[in-house]
Amino acid sequence: MSEETVELGPEIDPRIFDSKEFQKDPFPIYKQLRDHHPIYHDRFHNRWILSRYWDVDGAFQDNGSYDRAMYKADGPYDFGSRHVFGPNILEYGNSDEHRRLRNIVAGQFVGQKLQDFIPMIHQISEEVIDRFIDSGEVEIISQFASQVPIRVISNMLGLPREDEDTFVTWYQDLIAGLGFGGEHLMRGLNARNEMWDYIDPLIKKRSVDPGEDLLSRICTAEIAGSRMSSDEVKGFVALLLAAGGDTTEKAIANMWYHLMYTRPDQMELALSNPDIWENVFAEMMRFDPVVHAQFRYTTREIPLYNDVIPERAGVILYLGAGNRDERAFKNPDTFDILRDDLHMGRENRSGRYKDGKNGHLGFGIGQHFCMGYAMARQESAIACSKLAARVKKPRPKNMVHPGISSPSIDSGGFRSPEELIMEFDK
Amino acid sequence: MKVLVDKEKCFMSGECYYNHPELFRMDDDGYPEVIENRLDQDLLRHAEEAVQVCPAGALKLEK
Ligand code: HEM
Ligand code: SF4
Repeated sequence: MSEETVELGPEIDPRIFDSKEFQKDPFPIYKQLRDHHPIYHDRFHNRWILSRYWDVDGAFQDNGSYDRAMYKADGPYDFGSRHVFGPNILEYGNSDEHRRLRNIVAGQFVGQKLQDFIPMIHQISEEVIDRFIDSGEVEIISQFASQVPIRVISNMLGLPREDEDTFVTWYQDLIAGLGFGGEHLMRGLNARNEMWDYIDPLIKKRSVDPGEDLLSRICTAEIAGSRMSSDEVKGFVALLLAAGGDTTEKAIANMWYHLMYTRPDQMELALSNPDIWENVFAEMMRFDPVVHAQFRYTTREIPLYNDVIPERAGVILYLGAGNRDERAFKNPDTFDILRDDLHMGRENRSGRYKDGKNGHLGFGIGQHFCMGYAMARQESAIACSKLAARVKKPRPKNMVHPGISSPSIDSGGFRSPEELIMEFDK
Repeated sequence: MKVLVDKEKCFMSGECYYNHPELFRMDDDGYPEVIENRLDQDLLRHAEEAVQVCPAGALKLEK
Protein backbone atom coordinates (compact mmCIF):
# COMPACT_ATOMS: atom_id res chain seq x y z
CA MET A 1 0.00 0.00 0.00
CA SER A 2 1.26 3.49 -0.71
CA GLU A 3 2.57 5.37 2.28
CA GLU A 4 2.76 8.78 0.72
CA THR A 5 1.92 11.75 2.89
CA VAL A 6 -1.45 13.38 2.53
CA GLU A 7 -1.93 17.10 2.12
CA LEU A 8 -5.00 18.50 3.75
CA GLY A 9 -7.65 19.70 1.35
CA PRO A 10 -11.27 20.76 1.30
CA GLU A 11 -13.81 18.53 3.01
CA ILE A 12 -16.07 16.41 0.77
CA ASP A 13 -19.78 16.59 1.49
CA PRO A 14 -20.86 12.92 1.38
CA ARG A 15 -24.22 13.83 -0.15
CA ILE A 16 -22.31 14.48 -3.36
CA PHE A 17 -22.15 10.71 -3.94
CA ASP A 18 -25.92 10.63 -4.47
CA SER A 19 -25.98 13.56 -6.87
CA LYS A 20 -26.61 13.51 -10.63
CA GLU A 21 -23.46 15.56 -10.99
CA PHE A 22 -21.35 12.79 -9.45
CA GLN A 23 -23.02 10.08 -11.50
CA LYS A 24 -22.14 11.97 -14.64
CA ASP A 25 -18.69 13.15 -13.79
CA PRO A 26 -17.21 11.52 -10.69
CA PHE A 27 -13.62 12.24 -11.71
CA PRO A 28 -13.05 15.59 -9.93
CA ILE A 29 -14.31 14.02 -6.70
CA TYR A 30 -12.12 10.98 -7.28
CA LYS A 31 -9.13 13.31 -7.54
CA GLN A 32 -10.00 15.08 -4.32
CA LEU A 33 -10.37 11.71 -2.63
CA ARG A 34 -7.00 10.49 -3.91
CA ASP A 35 -5.13 13.68 -3.15
CA HIS A 36 -6.61 14.69 0.17
CA HIS A 37 -8.69 11.82 1.57
CA PRO A 38 -7.05 8.57 0.44
CA ILE A 39 -8.94 6.99 3.28
CA TYR A 40 -12.31 8.68 3.52
CA HIS A 41 -14.96 7.99 6.11
CA ASP A 42 -18.36 8.78 4.65
CA ARG A 43 -20.31 9.29 7.86
CA PHE A 44 -23.55 9.96 6.01
CA HIS A 45 -23.69 6.50 4.38
CA ASN A 46 -21.52 4.94 7.07
CA ARG A 47 -18.90 3.54 4.75
CA TRP A 48 -15.25 4.02 3.96
CA ILE A 49 -13.69 4.78 0.62
CA LEU A 50 -10.33 3.85 -0.94
CA SER A 51 -9.40 5.53 -4.20
CA ARG A 52 -5.65 5.37 -4.91
CA TYR A 53 -4.46 2.76 -7.40
CA TRP A 54 -2.19 0.87 -5.03
CA ASP A 55 -4.65 1.00 -2.15
CA VAL A 56 -7.48 -0.40 -4.29
CA ASP A 57 -5.10 -3.05 -5.65
CA GLY A 58 -3.89 -3.82 -2.14
CA ALA A 59 -7.41 -4.25 -0.79
CA PHE A 60 -8.40 -6.55 -3.67
CA GLN A 61 -5.31 -8.66 -2.92
CA ASP A 62 -5.73 -8.76 0.84
CA ASN A 63 -8.10 -11.60 1.63
CA GLY A 64 -7.08 -11.55 5.27
CA SER A 65 -8.50 -8.06 5.78
CA TYR A 66 -11.34 -7.68 3.30
CA ASP A 67 -14.22 -10.00 2.48
CA ARG A 68 -17.05 -9.63 -0.02
CA ALA A 69 -19.70 -11.70 1.73
CA MET A 70 -22.48 -10.11 3.77
CA TYR A 71 -23.34 -13.47 5.33
CA LYS A 72 -21.18 -16.18 6.82
CA ALA A 73 -20.87 -19.24 4.61
CA ASP A 74 -21.73 -21.53 7.55
CA GLY A 75 -24.37 -19.26 9.16
CA PRO A 76 -28.17 -19.49 9.12
CA TYR A 77 -28.65 -17.52 5.89
CA ASP A 78 -30.07 -19.50 3.00
CA PHE A 79 -27.80 -18.41 0.14
CA GLY A 80 -29.67 -17.24 -2.94
CA SER A 81 -32.94 -16.59 -1.12
CA ARG A 82 -32.56 -12.81 -1.26
CA HIS A 83 -30.96 -12.50 -4.67
CA VAL A 84 -32.86 -11.91 -7.89
CA PHE A 85 -30.58 -14.44 -9.64
CA GLY A 86 -31.09 -17.12 -7.01
CA PRO A 87 -28.05 -18.97 -5.70
CA ASN A 88 -24.90 -17.54 -7.25
CA ILE A 89 -21.25 -16.93 -6.63
CA LEU A 90 -21.60 -13.18 -6.00
CA GLU A 91 -23.01 -13.71 -2.50
CA TYR A 92 -19.92 -15.60 -1.40
CA GLY A 93 -16.74 -14.17 0.05
CA ASN A 94 -13.45 -15.92 0.49
CA SER A 95 -14.91 -19.30 1.33
CA ASP A 96 -14.42 -22.87 0.16
CA GLU A 97 -17.91 -22.64 -1.29
CA HIS A 98 -16.81 -19.71 -3.44
CA ARG A 99 -13.78 -21.63 -4.66
CA ARG A 100 -15.95 -24.62 -5.46
CA LEU A 101 -18.55 -22.66 -7.43
CA ARG A 102 -15.91 -20.69 -9.27
CA ASN A 103 -13.60 -23.52 -10.17
CA ILE A 104 -16.35 -25.73 -11.55
CA VAL A 105 -17.11 -23.20 -14.30
CA ALA A 106 -14.15 -20.82 -14.59
CA GLY A 107 -12.31 -23.06 -17.05
CA GLN A 108 -15.19 -22.78 -19.53
CA PHE A 109 -14.45 -19.15 -20.35
CA VAL A 110 -10.75 -19.27 -21.13
CA GLY A 111 -8.29 -21.07 -23.35
CA GLN A 112 -9.43 -23.68 -25.85
CA LYS A 113 -12.95 -23.89 -24.43
CA LEU A 114 -13.40 -20.20 -25.22
CA GLN A 115 -11.74 -20.57 -28.63
CA ASP A 116 -14.37 -23.17 -29.56
CA PHE A 117 -16.98 -20.40 -29.42
CA ILE A 118 -15.05 -17.72 -31.32
CA PRO A 119 -16.30 -18.53 -34.84
CA MET A 120 -19.84 -18.22 -33.51
CA ILE A 121 -19.06 -14.76 -32.09
CA HIS A 122 -17.84 -13.69 -35.53
CA GLN A 123 -20.98 -15.00 -37.15
CA ILE A 124 -23.40 -13.40 -34.69
CA SER A 125 -21.64 -10.05 -34.97
CA GLU A 126 -22.05 -10.13 -38.76
CA GLU A 127 -25.71 -11.11 -38.50
CA VAL A 128 -26.48 -8.28 -36.10
CA ILE A 129 -24.69 -5.80 -38.39
CA ASP A 130 -26.61 -7.12 -41.43
CA ARG A 131 -29.82 -5.90 -39.83
CA PHE A 132 -28.92 -2.20 -40.02
CA ILE A 133 -25.99 -1.84 -42.40
CA ASP A 134 -28.12 -0.74 -45.35
CA SER A 135 -29.75 2.12 -43.48
CA GLY A 136 -26.67 4.36 -43.12
CA GLU A 137 -27.32 4.85 -39.42
CA VAL A 138 -27.19 2.79 -36.23
CA GLU A 139 -28.19 3.45 -32.65
CA ILE A 140 -25.26 1.57 -31.23
CA ILE A 141 -26.77 0.59 -27.86
CA SER A 142 -30.09 -0.91 -28.91
CA GLN A 143 -29.20 -2.15 -32.39
CA PHE A 144 -25.70 -3.41 -31.81
CA ALA A 145 -24.16 -3.47 -28.33
CA SER A 146 -27.20 -4.95 -26.62
CA GLN A 147 -27.75 -7.50 -29.37
CA VAL A 148 -24.41 -9.25 -29.61
CA PRO A 149 -23.55 -10.48 -26.07
CA ILE A 150 -26.95 -11.92 -25.23
CA ARG A 151 -27.16 -13.80 -28.53
CA VAL A 152 -23.64 -15.08 -27.98
CA ILE A 153 -24.53 -16.37 -24.52
CA SER A 154 -27.76 -17.93 -25.74
CA ASN A 155 -25.78 -19.71 -28.46
CA MET A 156 -23.05 -20.78 -26.11
CA LEU A 157 -25.67 -22.33 -23.87
CA GLY A 158 -26.98 -24.17 -26.89
CA LEU A 159 -30.52 -22.78 -26.75
CA PRO A 160 -32.57 -23.15 -29.93
CA ARG A 161 -32.03 -20.13 -32.17
CA GLU A 162 -35.74 -19.50 -32.57
CA ASP A 163 -35.92 -18.82 -28.81
CA GLU A 164 -33.21 -16.18 -28.95
CA ASP A 165 -35.62 -13.23 -28.97
CA THR A 166 -37.51 -14.56 -25.93
CA PHE A 167 -34.19 -14.88 -24.21
CA VAL A 168 -33.36 -11.26 -25.04
CA THR A 169 -36.62 -10.16 -23.37
CA TRP A 170 -35.93 -12.15 -20.20
CA TYR A 171 -32.49 -10.61 -20.15
CA GLN A 172 -33.84 -7.05 -20.31
CA ASP A 173 -36.36 -7.74 -17.53
CA LEU A 174 -33.80 -9.41 -15.36
CA ILE A 175 -31.42 -6.49 -15.65
CA ALA A 176 -34.29 -4.12 -14.81
CA GLY A 177 -34.86 -6.28 -11.71
CA LEU A 178 -31.53 -5.14 -10.34
CA GLY A 179 -32.87 -1.61 -9.87
CA PHE A 180 -34.47 -0.36 -6.70
CA GLY A 181 -38.14 -0.76 -5.86
CA GLY A 182 -40.80 -3.46 -5.81
CA GLU A 183 -41.95 -2.99 -9.37
CA HIS A 184 -38.46 -3.59 -10.76
CA LEU A 185 -38.00 -6.57 -8.54
CA MET A 186 -41.29 -8.16 -9.63
CA ARG A 187 -40.41 -7.73 -13.27
CA GLY A 188 -37.03 -9.32 -12.66
CA LEU A 189 -38.42 -12.18 -10.63
CA ASN A 190 -41.11 -12.96 -13.20
CA ALA A 191 -38.57 -13.11 -15.97
CA ARG A 192 -36.28 -15.23 -13.86
CA ASN A 193 -39.03 -17.71 -13.04
CA GLU A 194 -40.11 -18.00 -16.65
CA MET A 195 -36.55 -18.55 -17.70
CA TRP A 196 -36.02 -21.16 -15.05
CA ASP A 197 -39.14 -23.08 -16.06
CA TYR A 198 -37.84 -23.02 -19.60
CA ILE A 199 -34.37 -24.16 -18.72
CA ASP A 200 -35.23 -26.80 -16.11
CA PRO A 201 -36.00 -29.62 -18.55
CA LEU A 202 -32.89 -28.71 -20.56
CA ILE A 203 -30.75 -29.07 -17.45
CA LYS A 204 -32.23 -32.48 -16.72
CA LYS A 205 -31.66 -33.67 -20.23
CA ARG A 206 -28.15 -32.36 -20.69
CA SER A 207 -26.95 -33.59 -17.30
CA VAL A 208 -27.45 -37.16 -18.49
CA ASP A 209 -26.92 -36.66 -22.20
CA PRO A 210 -24.45 -33.79 -22.53
CA GLY A 211 -23.47 -32.12 -25.80
CA GLU A 212 -20.64 -29.69 -26.53
CA ASP A 213 -22.64 -26.60 -25.45
CA LEU A 214 -21.91 -24.50 -22.37
CA LEU A 215 -25.06 -25.60 -20.52
CA SER A 216 -24.03 -29.25 -20.85
CA ARG A 217 -20.52 -28.38 -19.77
CA ILE A 218 -21.75 -26.48 -16.70
CA CYS A 219 -24.13 -29.30 -15.77
CA THR A 220 -21.40 -31.91 -15.93
CA ALA A 221 -18.21 -30.02 -14.99
CA GLU A 222 -16.60 -31.44 -11.90
CA ILE A 223 -14.01 -30.21 -9.46
CA ALA A 224 -12.84 -32.73 -6.87
CA GLY A 225 -15.87 -34.89 -7.56
CA SER A 226 -18.38 -32.09 -7.03
CA ARG A 227 -20.87 -30.78 -9.60
CA MET A 228 -23.26 -27.83 -9.49
CA SER A 229 -26.77 -28.62 -8.27
CA SER A 230 -29.61 -27.89 -10.66
CA ASP A 231 -30.51 -24.74 -8.67
CA GLU A 232 -26.92 -23.60 -8.84
CA VAL A 233 -26.89 -24.09 -12.60
CA LYS A 234 -30.02 -21.97 -12.90
CA GLY A 235 -28.54 -19.28 -10.68
CA PHE A 236 -25.42 -19.31 -12.78
CA VAL A 237 -27.33 -18.89 -16.03
CA ALA A 238 -29.14 -15.87 -14.57
CA LEU A 239 -25.83 -14.44 -13.39
CA LEU A 240 -24.30 -15.01 -16.80
CA LEU A 241 -26.88 -12.74 -18.39
CA ALA A 242 -26.08 -9.81 -16.13
CA ALA A 243 -22.41 -10.34 -15.28
CA GLY A 244 -21.57 -11.46 -18.79
CA GLY A 245 -24.22 -9.87 -20.99
CA ASP A 246 -25.00 -6.45 -19.62
CA THR A 247 -21.37 -5.65 -18.83
CA THR A 248 -20.12 -6.58 -22.29
CA GLU A 249 -22.96 -4.62 -23.87
CA LYS A 250 -21.87 -1.54 -21.99
CA ALA A 251 -18.21 -2.14 -22.77
CA ILE A 252 -18.92 -2.18 -26.50
CA ALA A 253 -21.00 0.99 -26.26
CA ASN A 254 -18.35 2.79 -24.23
CA MET A 255 -15.59 1.87 -26.69
CA TRP A 256 -17.50 3.50 -29.54
CA TYR A 257 -18.49 6.46 -27.42
CA HIS A 258 -14.87 7.31 -26.65
CA LEU A 259 -13.76 7.06 -30.26
CA MET A 260 -16.72 9.14 -31.43
CA TYR A 261 -16.61 11.84 -28.79
CA THR A 262 -13.52 11.68 -26.54
CA ARG A 263 -10.81 10.93 -29.14
CA PRO A 264 -12.26 11.30 -32.64
CA ASP A 265 -8.69 11.80 -33.87
CA GLN A 266 -7.96 8.14 -33.01
CA MET A 267 -11.02 6.81 -34.84
CA GLU A 268 -9.14 6.47 -38.14
CA LEU A 269 -6.52 4.31 -36.47
CA ALA A 270 -9.18 1.99 -35.10
CA LEU A 271 -10.97 1.76 -38.43
CA SER A 272 -7.85 0.78 -40.33
CA ASN A 273 -6.40 -1.63 -37.79
CA PRO A 274 -8.58 -4.50 -36.54
CA ASP A 275 -6.01 -5.55 -33.93
CA ILE A 276 -6.08 -2.21 -32.15
CA TRP A 277 -9.54 -2.91 -30.71
CA GLU A 278 -7.91 -4.80 -27.86
CA ASN A 279 -6.16 -1.54 -26.97
CA VAL A 280 -9.45 0.34 -27.23
CA PHE A 281 -10.90 -2.21 -24.82
CA ALA A 282 -8.03 -1.91 -22.32
CA GLU A 283 -7.98 1.89 -22.38
CA MET A 284 -11.78 2.06 -22.00
CA MET A 285 -11.51 -0.27 -19.00
CA ARG A 286 -9.00 2.12 -17.48
CA PHE A 287 -10.36 5.50 -18.48
CA ASP A 288 -14.03 5.01 -17.60
CA PRO A 289 -14.83 1.34 -17.01
CA VAL A 290 -18.26 -0.22 -16.95
CA VAL A 291 -18.00 -0.87 -13.23
CA HIS A 292 -16.44 1.81 -11.02
CA ALA A 293 -16.86 0.40 -7.54
CA GLN A 294 -16.80 -2.84 -5.61
CA PHE A 295 -17.87 -3.34 -2.00
CA ARG A 296 -15.99 -5.15 0.69
CA TYR A 297 -16.31 -5.65 4.46
CA THR A 298 -13.31 -5.46 6.74
CA THR A 299 -12.54 -8.54 8.78
CA ARG A 300 -10.02 -6.78 11.00
CA GLU A 301 -8.93 -3.25 11.89
CA ILE A 302 -6.93 -1.72 9.09
CA PRO A 303 -4.39 1.02 9.86
CA LEU A 304 -3.73 3.23 6.84
CA TYR A 305 -2.47 6.83 6.45
CA ASN A 306 -2.53 7.57 10.17
CA ASP A 307 -6.13 6.46 10.36
CA VAL A 308 -7.83 3.14 11.09
CA ILE A 309 -10.75 1.48 9.30
CA PRO A 310 -12.66 -0.45 11.96
CA GLU A 311 -13.50 -4.13 11.80
CA ARG A 312 -16.76 -5.09 10.02
CA ALA A 313 -16.89 -1.74 8.20
CA GLY A 314 -18.25 -1.39 4.66
CA VAL A 315 -15.57 -0.22 2.24
CA ILE A 316 -15.96 0.99 -1.34
CA LEU A 317 -13.02 0.19 -3.56
CA TYR A 318 -13.21 2.87 -6.24
CA LEU A 319 -11.43 1.16 -9.09
CA GLY A 320 -12.70 3.92 -11.37
CA ALA A 321 -10.68 6.35 -9.24
CA GLY A 322 -7.62 4.12 -8.99
CA ASN A 323 -7.54 3.93 -12.77
CA ARG A 324 -7.09 7.74 -12.94
CA ASP A 325 -4.35 7.84 -10.35
CA GLU A 326 -1.33 9.95 -11.39
CA ARG A 327 0.71 7.63 -9.19
CA ALA A 328 0.05 4.80 -11.67
CA PHE A 329 -0.52 6.44 -15.06
CA LYS A 330 0.86 9.51 -16.84
CA ASN A 331 -1.75 12.05 -17.92
CA PRO A 332 -4.46 9.79 -16.50
CA ASP A 333 -7.30 12.00 -17.74
CA THR A 334 -6.30 11.55 -21.38
CA PHE A 335 -7.96 8.73 -23.34
CA ASP A 336 -5.23 7.27 -25.53
CA ILE A 337 -5.38 3.87 -27.20
CA LEU A 338 -1.62 4.09 -27.81
CA ARG A 339 -0.60 4.87 -24.25
CA ASP A 340 2.68 3.20 -23.36
CA ASP A 341 2.20 2.85 -19.62
CA LEU A 342 -0.88 0.60 -19.59
CA HIS A 343 -0.73 -3.17 -20.02
CA MET A 344 -2.76 -3.53 -23.20
CA GLY A 345 -2.75 -7.32 -23.42
CA ARG A 346 -4.93 -9.87 -21.69
CA GLU A 347 -5.65 -9.18 -18.04
CA ASN A 348 -4.96 -11.61 -15.24
CA ARG A 349 -6.01 -12.37 -11.73
CA SER A 350 -2.84 -11.15 -10.09
CA GLY A 351 -2.81 -7.70 -11.70
CA ARG A 352 0.96 -8.11 -12.29
CA TYR A 353 2.43 -8.18 -15.79
CA LYS A 354 5.74 -9.20 -17.29
CA ASP A 355 6.01 -5.99 -19.29
CA GLY A 356 6.23 -4.18 -15.95
CA LYS A 357 3.29 -1.93 -16.84
CA ASN A 358 0.30 -1.38 -14.63
CA GLY A 359 -2.98 -2.97 -15.61
CA HIS A 360 -6.43 -1.40 -15.43
CA LEU A 361 -8.51 -2.32 -12.40
CA GLY A 362 -11.74 -2.68 -14.38
CA PHE A 363 -12.14 -6.43 -13.77
CA GLY A 364 -11.16 -6.25 -10.12
CA ILE A 365 -8.19 -8.36 -8.99
CA GLY A 366 -7.55 -11.39 -6.88
CA GLN A 367 -10.07 -13.74 -5.34
CA HIS A 368 -13.10 -12.38 -7.21
CA PHE A 369 -11.33 -11.23 -10.38
CA CYS A 370 -13.79 -11.33 -13.24
CA MET A 371 -14.32 -14.83 -14.49
CA GLY A 372 -15.27 -13.66 -17.97
CA TYR A 373 -12.18 -11.48 -18.52
CA ALA A 374 -10.96 -13.31 -21.60
CA MET A 375 -14.39 -13.64 -23.12
CA ALA A 376 -15.39 -10.01 -22.51
CA ARG A 377 -12.20 -8.74 -24.12
CA GLN A 378 -12.32 -11.01 -27.13
CA GLU A 379 -16.02 -10.62 -27.73
CA SER A 380 -15.87 -6.82 -27.49
CA ALA A 381 -12.85 -6.61 -29.77
CA ILE A 382 -14.34 -8.96 -32.36
CA ALA A 383 -17.74 -7.28 -32.45
CA CYS A 384 -16.23 -3.80 -32.70
CA SER A 385 -13.68 -4.66 -35.37
CA LYS A 386 -16.44 -6.28 -37.46
CA LEU A 387 -18.52 -3.14 -37.26
CA ALA A 388 -15.48 -0.99 -38.02
CA ALA A 389 -14.79 -3.04 -41.14
CA ARG A 390 -18.29 -2.53 -42.50
CA VAL A 391 -19.11 1.12 -41.91
CA LYS A 392 -17.72 3.77 -44.24
CA LYS A 393 -16.81 7.17 -42.79
CA PRO A 394 -18.63 6.65 -39.51
CA ARG A 395 -19.44 9.82 -37.57
CA PRO A 396 -21.62 10.85 -34.67
CA LYS A 397 -25.10 11.94 -35.71
CA ASN A 398 -25.19 14.59 -32.99
CA MET A 399 -22.13 16.71 -32.46
CA VAL A 400 -22.91 17.19 -28.79
CA HIS A 401 -23.68 14.29 -26.52
CA PRO A 402 -24.92 14.31 -22.90
CA GLY A 403 -22.13 11.85 -22.05
CA ILE A 404 -21.72 8.67 -20.12
CA SER A 405 -23.50 8.35 -16.81
CA SER A 406 -24.00 5.75 -14.15
CA PRO A 407 -27.07 4.97 -12.12
CA SER A 408 -26.66 5.51 -8.40
CA ILE A 409 -23.85 3.42 -7.02
CA ASP A 410 -26.20 1.56 -4.68
CA SER A 411 -28.16 0.08 -7.56
CA GLY A 412 -25.10 -1.75 -8.80
CA GLY A 413 -25.71 -0.27 -12.22
CA PHE A 414 -23.21 -0.22 -15.01
CA ARG A 415 -21.91 2.93 -16.67
CA SER A 416 -22.78 3.72 -20.26
CA PRO A 417 -24.34 6.35 -22.50
CA GLU A 418 -28.12 6.13 -22.89
CA GLU A 419 -28.09 6.58 -26.61
CA LEU A 420 -25.37 6.60 -29.23
CA ILE A 421 -26.27 7.27 -32.84
CA MET A 422 -23.71 6.84 -35.57
CA GLU A 423 -24.11 7.74 -39.22
CA PHE A 424 -22.05 6.29 -42.03
CA ASP A 425 -21.95 6.29 -45.83
CA LYS A 426 -23.91 3.53 -47.47
CA MET B 1 7.44 -34.57 -3.83
CA LYS B 2 8.00 -30.92 -4.57
CA VAL B 3 6.20 -28.26 -6.64
CA LEU B 4 8.44 -26.41 -9.06
CA VAL B 5 7.68 -23.07 -10.71
CA ASP B 6 9.18 -22.24 -14.08
CA LYS B 7 9.40 -18.45 -13.99
CA GLU B 8 10.21 -18.25 -17.68
CA LYS B 9 6.88 -19.78 -18.56
CA CYS B 10 4.75 -18.33 -15.75
CA PHE B 11 2.83 -15.24 -16.82
CA MET B 12 1.45 -14.43 -13.39
CA SER B 13 -2.09 -15.50 -14.09
CA GLY B 14 -2.51 -15.87 -10.36
CA GLU B 15 -4.58 -19.03 -10.61
CA CYS B 16 -2.27 -21.14 -8.43
CA TYR B 17 -2.04 -18.81 -5.45
CA TYR B 18 -5.68 -17.70 -5.44
CA ASN B 19 -6.97 -21.26 -5.70
CA HIS B 20 -4.41 -22.78 -3.38
CA PRO B 21 -3.28 -20.34 -0.71
CA GLU B 22 -2.29 -23.37 1.35
CA LEU B 23 0.48 -24.11 -1.17
CA PHE B 24 1.46 -20.81 -2.76
CA ARG B 25 1.59 -17.12 -2.10
CA MET B 26 2.19 -14.23 -4.48
CA ASP B 27 5.64 -12.68 -4.20
CA ASP B 28 6.19 -8.96 -4.67
CA ASP B 29 6.60 -9.36 -8.43
CA GLY B 30 3.45 -11.38 -8.99
CA TYR B 31 5.11 -14.82 -9.22
CA PRO B 32 4.02 -17.72 -7.07
CA GLU B 33 6.18 -18.70 -4.16
CA VAL B 34 5.80 -22.25 -2.87
CA ILE B 35 5.15 -22.09 0.86
CA GLU B 36 4.51 -25.74 1.63
CA ASN B 37 6.54 -28.61 0.32
CA ARG B 38 5.57 -31.29 2.79
CA LEU B 39 2.75 -32.70 0.71
CA ASP B 40 0.48 -35.10 2.50
CA GLN B 41 -2.18 -36.87 0.48
CA ASP B 42 -4.61 -33.95 0.55
CA LEU B 43 -2.04 -31.35 -0.38
CA LEU B 44 -0.69 -33.57 -3.10
CA ARG B 45 -4.16 -33.63 -4.65
CA HIS B 46 -4.28 -29.81 -4.47
CA ALA B 47 -0.84 -29.58 -6.03
CA GLU B 48 -1.86 -31.84 -8.88
CA GLU B 49 -4.94 -29.71 -9.45
CA ALA B 50 -2.78 -26.55 -9.56
CA VAL B 51 -0.44 -28.14 -12.10
CA GLN B 52 -3.41 -29.11 -14.21
CA VAL B 53 -5.08 -25.68 -14.03
CA CYS B 54 -1.98 -23.50 -14.66
CA PRO B 55 -2.67 -21.88 -18.04
CA ALA B 56 1.04 -21.47 -18.77
CA GLY B 57 2.16 -25.02 -18.04
CA ALA B 58 4.62 -23.46 -15.61
CA LEU B 59 4.11 -25.78 -12.67
CA LYS B 60 5.35 -29.29 -12.23
CA LEU B 61 5.67 -31.91 -9.55
CA GLU B 62 9.09 -33.35 -8.92
CA LYS B 63 9.64 -36.62 -7.12
C1 HEM C 1 -16.45 -5.84 -19.96
C2 HEM C 1 -17.23 -6.68 -19.38
C3 HEM C 1 -17.10 -7.04 -17.91
C4 HEM C 1 -16.79 -6.24 -16.84
C5 HEM C 1 -16.53 -4.74 -16.84
C6 HEM C 1 -16.77 -7.10 -15.67
C7 HEM C 1 -16.45 -6.65 -14.40
C8 HEM C 1 -16.29 -7.48 -13.29
C9 HEM C 1 -15.76 -7.07 -12.01
C10 HEM C 1 -15.29 -5.67 -11.66
C11 HEM C 1 -15.77 -8.17 -11.20
C12 HEM C 1 -15.21 -8.22 -9.77
C13 HEM C 1 -16.25 -8.41 -8.71
C14 HEM C 1 -15.64 -8.30 -7.32
O1 HEM C 1 -14.48 -7.91 -7.17
O2 HEM C 1 -16.35 -8.58 -6.35
C15 HEM C 1 -16.33 -9.26 -11.97
C16 HEM C 1 -16.58 -10.53 -11.48
C17 HEM C 1 -17.22 -11.52 -12.20
N1 HEM C 1 -17.48 -11.51 -13.56
FE1 HEM C 1 -17.19 -9.99 -14.83
N2 HEM C 1 -17.09 -8.37 -16.05
C18 HEM C 1 -17.30 -8.39 -17.41
C19 HEM C 1 -17.62 -9.48 -18.19
C20 HEM C 1 -17.94 -10.74 -17.70
C21 HEM C 1 -18.32 -11.88 -18.52
C22 HEM C 1 -18.39 -11.91 -20.03
C23 HEM C 1 -18.62 -12.88 -17.65
C24 HEM C 1 -19.10 -14.24 -18.06
C25 HEM C 1 -18.47 -15.33 -17.93
C26 HEM C 1 -18.37 -12.40 -16.29
C27 HEM C 1 -18.56 -13.12 -15.12
C28 HEM C 1 -18.13 -12.71 -13.87
C29 HEM C 1 -18.29 -13.52 -12.67
C30 HEM C 1 -18.93 -14.89 -12.57
C31 HEM C 1 -17.71 -12.77 -11.62
C32 HEM C 1 -17.61 -13.17 -10.15
C33 HEM C 1 -16.29 -13.82 -9.89
C34 HEM C 1 -16.07 -14.18 -8.44
O3 HEM C 1 -16.79 -13.71 -7.58
O4 HEM C 1 -15.16 -14.97 -8.18
N3 HEM C 1 -17.96 -11.09 -16.37
N4 HEM C 1 -16.62 -8.82 -13.25
S1 SF4 D 1 -1.03 -20.65 -12.39
FE1 SF4 D 1 0.81 -20.87 -13.65
S2 SF4 D 1 0.93 -18.97 -14.86
FE2 SF4 D 1 -0.50 -18.64 -13.19
S3 SF4 D 1 0.75 -17.70 -11.57
FE3 SF4 D 1 0.66 -19.89 -11.16
S4 SF4 D 1 2.47 -20.69 -12.18
FE4 SF4 D 1 2.16 -18.66 -13.01
